[in-house]
Amino acid sequence: MTAPSKITDPMELPEEVRDALERLILGLADAKRVLGIRYSEWVLGAPSLEAGISAASMCQDEWGHARLLYAMLKRLGRDPVVVEHDRPAEAYASPSALDASADDWAELVAMIALTDGAITAVLEGFAEGALDLAANRVPKMLAEERFHSDMGSAWVHSLCKASDESAGDTLRDSASAILPGLLAWIDPQDPASQLLVDSGLMQTGDQVRERFLAVCGPLFEAMGIDATQVAADRSGWDAARGRGPGCPDGETIERARGDRNRMLFVE
Amino acid sequence: MEEHVYDVFARKERGDPLRHIGYVDAMDDELARVYAWTTYSEERWFEMCVVARASIIPVNRTDGPYAANVLGGAS
Repeated sequence: MTAPSKITDPMELPEEVRDALERLILGLADAKRVLGIRYSEWVLGAPSLEAGISAASMCQDEWGHARLLYAMLKRLGRDPVVVEHDRPAEAYASPSALDASADDWAELVAMIALTDGAITAVLEGFAEGALDLAANRVPKMLAEERFHSDMGSAWVHSLCKASDESAGDTLRDSASAILPGLLAWIDPQDPASQLLVDSGLMQTGDQVRERFLAVCGPLFEAMGIDATQVAADRSGWDAARGRGPGCPDGETIERARGDRNRMLFVE
Repeated sequence: MEEHVYDVFARKERGDPLRHIGYVDAMDDELARVYAWTTYSEERWFEMCVVARASIIPVNRTDGPYAANVLGGAS
């Protein structure tokens, strides 16, 4: 990545670069919104009261961050309200790891630990790019997230040490299943992602992957997964969204949009 | 996976006395940190600490929540 001079008005960027930037921001915002819902599904039913309270707190953080990221789209000429409330599930750019609810706590731990690490790696790569909006907003977001990675990490280590080996097995299997898609999401290796790198808006895919492996390295080690040998799965790649095929379930997105209480929405 | 009691202490401003604000149950120190922060986050804390209740050594009482520690037990 060339040393970027700061970009204060993204509308001055060429149209194809703006489209790529919009895809990146949407991917991050959608990831946080859907991750928030996955946390919320375990506010009641977590292994302990404290774990449930933590899930509630982290859900709020994720939704707050999603709101900030959606608001960034205003600078690209998009109406964040429409983006937040009017898109179908098929338009969501969150990683496939978040498409379905976790069946049990171990599966949720794999989901939150890895996707949180992936989102953090992409956000850090974005914050070091040329967009002043990202450089200004993202570091605070990352600071607020520090307890999220601690929670994921502590639970991964606990489940790996548990006397009931089935919890560790579920964790490992879940992490192994979502990892290839997650690696593709953080490092798309397609024309849009290359445009962002060439424009100085984003670090290279290799750098982001390296960050991700550094953040989640101790987790992979605990789970006995050699992540350096796992290939990204880009089969059926959807370049419009920057992710693989599929989408979050409809019920999740109805909740994300607030469909049931939409009539009460007052701007 | 056994849980232990951790007492939570915090101060609002630099120079304020550190005061006991509650407790959490957690499996290890790392989760105790996370749970303390997320459970007691309704205030803006300058500093927060947790300590395993089993590590608190009572000085003048032989009853109450820390009494077991005098006898070498854990909470």
